[in-house]
Amino acid sequence: MTHPIDEARSLATRRQFLARGASCYGLGAAALHSLLTGEQTGTGEHRTTHVGGINEGLRGLPHAVPKARRVIYLFQSGAPSQMDLLDYKPSLEKLDGTELPASIRMGQRLTGMTSRQSKFTVTKSPWKFRQCGDAGIWLSDLLPWHQRIADHMCLVKTMHTEAINHDPAITFVQSGHQQPGRPCLGSWASYGLGSQAKDLPAFVVLLSKCTDNQAQPLYSRLWGSGFLPSNHQGVKLRGSGDPVLYLNDPTGESLRNRRTMLDDLARLNELHHGQVGDPEVQARIAAYEMAYRMQISVPGLLDFSDEPASTWELYGEDAKIPGTHAANCLLARRLAERDVRFIQLYHRGWDHHSNLPGRHPGIARQVDRGSAALVLDLLQRGLLDDTLVVWGGEFGRTVYAQGSRKKFGRDHHPRCFSVWMAGGGVRAGYQHGQTDDFCYNIAEDGVHVHDLNATILHLLGVNHERLVYRFQGRDYRLTDVHGKVVAPILA
Amino acid sequence: MITSLLSAPLVAQQTTPLDFARDVRPILSENCFQCHGPDDNARKAGLRLDRREGALADLGGHAAVIPGRPDKSELIARITHRDPSERMPQQKTGKQLTPEQIATLRRWIEEGAQWSEHWAFVPPQRPALPRVVNRSWPRNAIDHFVLARLEQRGTRPAPEADRSTWLRRVSFDLTGLPPSLAQIDAFLADRTPAAFERVVDALLASPRYGEHWARSWLDIARYADTDGYQYDRERTQWPWRDWVINAYNQNMPFDQFTVEQLGGDLLPNATVQQQAGTGFNRNHPITIEGGVIDEEYRTEYVIDRVVTTSTAWMGMTFLCARCHDHKYDPLSQREFYEFFAFFNQVPERGLQGFEPRIAMPSKEHDDAKLALATLEATVAKASATLRPQRLAWEKSLVAKRGADPWVVQDPAHPTASSGASLEALPDKSFLASGGDLGKETYELLIRTDLTNITAIRIECLTHKSLPHGGAGRASNSNFVLSGFEAAARLAGSTQAHIPLKLASAVADYSQRNYEIAKAIDGNPGTGWAVDGPTRKEDRVAVFTPTRPFGWEAGTELRVRLQQHFGTGHAIGRLRVSLSTQAGVGIQAGIADFAATEEAARTPTQRRSLTEAFMKQAAPPVVRDDYLRIPALRKNVAATNARRVRLMVMRDLATPRKTHVLERGEYHRKLAEVTAGTPAALPPMAKELPRNRLGLARWLVSGQHPLTARVAVNRYWQAFFDTGIVKTAENFGSQSEYPSHPVLLDWLATEFVGTDWDVKRMHKLITLSATYRQSSKVSRRDAVRDPANRWLARGPSRRLDAEEIRDQALMVSGLLIDKIGGKSVFPYHPKGLWMEINNRPGYSRPYPHQTTPDHLYRRSLYTFWKRTVPPPTMQAFDAPEREFCVVRRSSTNTPLQPFVLMHDPQFVEAARHLGARMMREGGKNNRQRIEMGFRLVTGRRPSPSERAILAGTVTRRLALYRQDSAAAARLLDVGVSKSGKPLDRAEHAAWTAVARLLINLSEAVTRG
Repeated sequence: MTHPIDEARSLATRRQFLARGASCYGLGAAALHSLLTGEQTGTGEHRTTHVGGINEGLRGLPHAVPKARRVIYLFQSGAPSQMDLLDYKPSLEKLDGTELPASIRMGQRLTGMTSRQSKFTVTKSPWKFRQCGDAGIWLSDLLPWHQRIADHMCLVKTMHTEAINHDPAITFVQSGHQQPGRPCLGSWASYGLGSQAKDLPAFVVLLSKCTDNQAQPLYSRLWGSGFLPSNHQGVKLRGSGDPVLYLNDPTGESLRNRRTMLDDLARLNELHHGQVGDPEVQARIAAYEMAYRMQISVPGLLDFSDEPASTWELYGEDAKIPGTHAANCLLARRLAERDVRFIQLYHRGWDHHSNLPGRHPGIARQVDRGSAALVLDLLQRGLLDDTLVVWGGEFGRTVYAQGSRKKFGRDHHPRCFSVWMAGGGVRAGYQHGQTDDFCYNIAEDGVHVHDLNATILHLLGVNHERLVYRFQGRDYRLTDVHGKVVAPILA
Repeated sequence: MITSLLSAPLVAQQTTPLDFARDVRPILSENCFQCHGPDDNARKAGLRLDRREGALADLGGHAAVIPGRPDKSELIARITHRDPSERMPQQKTGKQLTPEQIATLRRWIEEGAQWSEHWAFVPPQRPALPRVVNRSWPRNAIDHFVLARLEQRGTRPAPEADRSTWLRRVSFDLTGLPPSLAQIDAFLADRTPAAFERVVDALLASPRYGEHWARSWLDIARYADTDGYQYDRERTQWPWRDWVINAYNQNMPFDQFTVEQLGGDLLPNATVQQQAGTGFNRNHPITIEGGVIDEEYRTEYVIDRVVTTSTAWMGMTFLCARCHDHKYDPLSQREFYEFFAFFNQVPERGLQGFEPRIAMPSKEHDDAKLALATLEATVAKASATLRPQRLAWEKSLVAKRGADPWVVQDPAHPTASSGASLEALPDKSFLASGGDLGKETYELLIRTDLTNITAIRIECLTHKSLPHGGAGRASNSNFVLSGFEAAARLAGSTQAHIPLKLASAVADYSQRNYEIAKAIDGNPGTGWAVDGPTRKEDRVAVFTPTRPFGWEAGTELRVRLQQHFGTGHAIGRLRVSLSTQAGVGIQAGIADFAATEEAARTPTQRRSLTEAFMKQAAPPVVRDDYLRIPALRKNVAATNARRVRLMVMRDLATPRKTHVLERGEYHRKLAEVTAGTPAALPPMAKELPRNRLGLARWLVSGQHPLTARVAVNRYWQAFFDTGIVKTAENFGSQSEYPSHPVLLDWLATEFVGTDWDVKRMHKLITLSATYRQSSKVSRRDAVRDPANRWLARGPSRRLDAEEIRDQALMVSGLLIDKIGGKSVFPYHPKGLWMEINNRPGYSRPYPHQTTPDHLYRRSLYTFWKRTVPPPTMQAFDAPEREFCVVRRSSTNTPLQPFVLMHDPQFVEAARHLGARMMREGGKNNRQRIEMGFRLVTGRRPSPSERAILAGTVTRRLALYRQDSAAAARLLDVGVSKSGKPLDRAEHAAWTAVARLLINLSEAVTRG
């Protein structure tokens, strides 16, 4: 069997012919122009241009020269424990075993899981931290690979959020609203900035395979487009089955025969277009061509056989198993190379309400190496400068123990948690903000979820106050009426 | 672009006076209201521009607007100010007025600054038909309005569409399916003027109509088969979906449709179906996430109802007023919570808030009940005939009865810890009254000369002085005996009583989970209870000590009855007996029952006697019938348990208090409010109840300015792809001004005037000349009116996801046209559910099915999991169904070709379509091509189209003749068989043609 890529190459001439052919048909220049530049209606509802899935973004965007061309968001679903991983708290050595003072808790609401607990015992991290790199950032021994990228990290220790349960909190981080209905970050990026890749979508979602059957679920709304046109929803690249839903022909048709079919189809559609004059017909023809290009490009994207040995030395053997965090980190790098705008990865399983000492090491091991390898890999390929990597979950975990002290867990904690970023215009080797001695409240320089999202958009060259969509008479934006760009973390 | 289309002629034609509502108000709303609008708290400089008195108000020597004097008006001064920091709107708002807008505002003031309320809040007036020049074109009133606007603009309507195009258009718009070949042929052959009407009538009468129209209502009602949040577990709301299908098919008037969905449960003697309608407002997501705060989520559910109801019926964006007064529309935060109060009365919880639910009728349950009733009637009849035998049998029982094994005791000085008085009655029972109705302990001392005492019996007897004439003292007639203790000593002794060890306790009846054994388990937290609320009967319990007791010289027995449940759950009338017979128990009673006068027997006694009679003395036929009753009863219970539970609305008996919530947060309660409607809308009639039923009647009173407009606008959107008001979900200040405001009012008044007759409205629209136009887009159209807002041509649209799949099923002959029932599981990619949610007990893999009634049903029956919607539907813009959606987007993406080319559903459909072309199309390729083409497009192919397809056939046939494995791979997709064997290569070639046809742009659109 011919390799798809070789086969595609031999067909390229024919495709070019077809593309030229299409422009000879039909539509007047003015109408085509309106399609290409987008439409603005009387109520200010913008419509981005989509000639067959080629997403051009909005006119006038980016608002400023972007620091990051693309984002890779390594989302850690379930909430990693900040004082066990990223927020070094020597003060807890002394406080360990004491009751959390009311002056610290300040009547803050708790989840239904610990609100009836009679004791709130401060519990230090069972793991050692060490100071890393020239920057001297303290990182936990749970993340030995992270310890190697300390000098590239921009660690924000003072994230805070509003929700205290997973569903609303994940929805909030991703869409700026706790209830379903708003577009997620990646959809906003796709809507505003469009696609840079000719044969891949602007917004791609990677799901790690989850081995922990206690893990919190995900929901398709997390990469949904809310009220934005639905072509801005994330396209899942899956670890098993069809990598993109329905990408593969179940009849195993060769690309050559497919090409013939598409040529017939295009000719019929062109004839139809000649009869009805509807520009949508041409958009549909272009969509089939884009689909064809994806059929060729996705197998190549997923075929890691062209990776040099150094890749496996960096990412580890795990990266050879599709669906692992490491494999998805490598895939994210390949997507970045192909200039996909927004790459959203989800890894589940951090939600340890019991036996955190027994369970956190396992999941840390799953994500540690791949995350760090991705940063180093982007760096060595010169991609880190214009690729923003974000690593974090939906909230933090409590300093007090949930359940028995021996096999303690930690409950949900919205008041402070840690997120790190790297590349794409953030300050390397920098730590932002301070939590209090209890790792319970923010002592200085808090960063709200809206602030983080405003900053991510800023790095993409987008003013978060100006990327709006008129829906139900109101201009909506990712950050609602909030959000400040966090200036100190910008490079 | 539309703005310029609407306003460009106005600026040019200075002679036409400005229309405030159309030309001025939208500018003010968009640019000024945020700081100078209805929100009292956000208002700057004391200036309010959404009301005329505000605009004209003297603000200390100047006024924003001085009619007739733009140069003296502060508004003009500020919007044209040289200094950017002084200029309005302020820079930081990101808004900017165009020179045309400034000119419009200036002219408006020049012309006297006339004012009108926002058009949508003023009830529609019945307009006269406008004059038109081309009087032969209109077919009904709609066309007068459309043509008048076209003539004003100097354009003409398009010629009529081909008949086949119109037929495909109207078939999809009314039933969501393409016409069959027979329907096409019949219509093309029918050249009479009534042909069009006949088609419309037939489509409206088709059950497919209700299915199609229900589907868009499901988007609005955020209907789904799962709970949405977190683990997204499954629910059974589909009887509500079927309710909607039925409502459309029966042409339920829109006012009734409204009343039954919003307040059907509150109708007098509400039927099950009327209650089922209220499932509408229970379709919202519900959480089961363990840690959530109950009230937070309960509040979200109520807000969801407010948002969905106000969007669906009024096109108003109520949600904006959750946290503060609405920025654009006259709706205060307080009014939001007054509206909220209507929906805040459900006896529900936030966490796992599935109740209240009703059990839907089911055939198997009805059958089970009928079988039981029939058998019981047979037995009753036989029993009546057997009465003489029965009486004789009872007599013989009494005659054979030995001496009563029980000796009734007469305790001295019974005491009650609660202070109740225990009055001795002549039958030696004593009756409790008074005291503190909390916990209770009775203590009785019994002096007896019996020896070898084998058992202690207590009888708990009913009495008319007790609550509801039962045997217990609690207000529900129940009691709970938490502990029975007996101790004895030699009569006259001063030594402590020796506790009796009890071997067993039996009772003639125990409540579930309150068995008699729990009276002697030593645990004061458990006990024996008797279903007092439903059984006002005498009860008996017998306690047997491990060894017989009793001193020759007499015994003093102390009995303590602990009744710790509280709230007066104590025995009301009590009698104690002792027995010296070995093995005495309750069963000894049958003869006693027979000895009791018939009228005085308790139901339990009656039942026991009947059972004994049937077993011992009845003829075998009757006995067997009688003995079958319990099994049938069990079946009634089992079928009842299987009835589908539907979540519906209910109101609490005692209304829940509603408060304004600060910033919309569930726990920050401000002033208390009661249910009411916004002041900017017509008031609720006095006689209407202030509940959901009253609210529904207010919406459909005919006086409401929004209800009918919003409904007909949605219909218009379905037929013309865009509503007369494009923002179908928002008719407020920020909505887009209607393209045909007078037509909208005519349609709204027509709708109300014809008693909200939905089918009639659909018929009117589909038979209009406007709807009949060709949709061909000329170069001129593409530039002048690309979105076709002026309707100078027919409406074309891409088919919705469901229509695309249903068409493939229909043209392939696979479609199963069963209406309603449980949601089904058609083809679905492997592993999709579990990859985002794999927790045992909370999730399961997609239950792949292989039967036609799952694989080939219409798409509205496809199981809808909110966190993983069916991917085929999602690819074609179906929403997740997590919230109310009035307008779907329509996009072109590369994922759509993937679905049409690779989803096994479509490949399999192509195989059957290919077979149909071979079998039914005719002998030659030309005929077969023509048939397939007509099935998916509704028209005959042109010679060039035919030629391309003929090339496909030839090429593919050659290919599959050479490569039989490729043919096999193509023909093996899908579980269905292909029917009578066909030549494999040929079948594969025609399947390939069919795939091509299904992928045509024309196949996914209707012209």
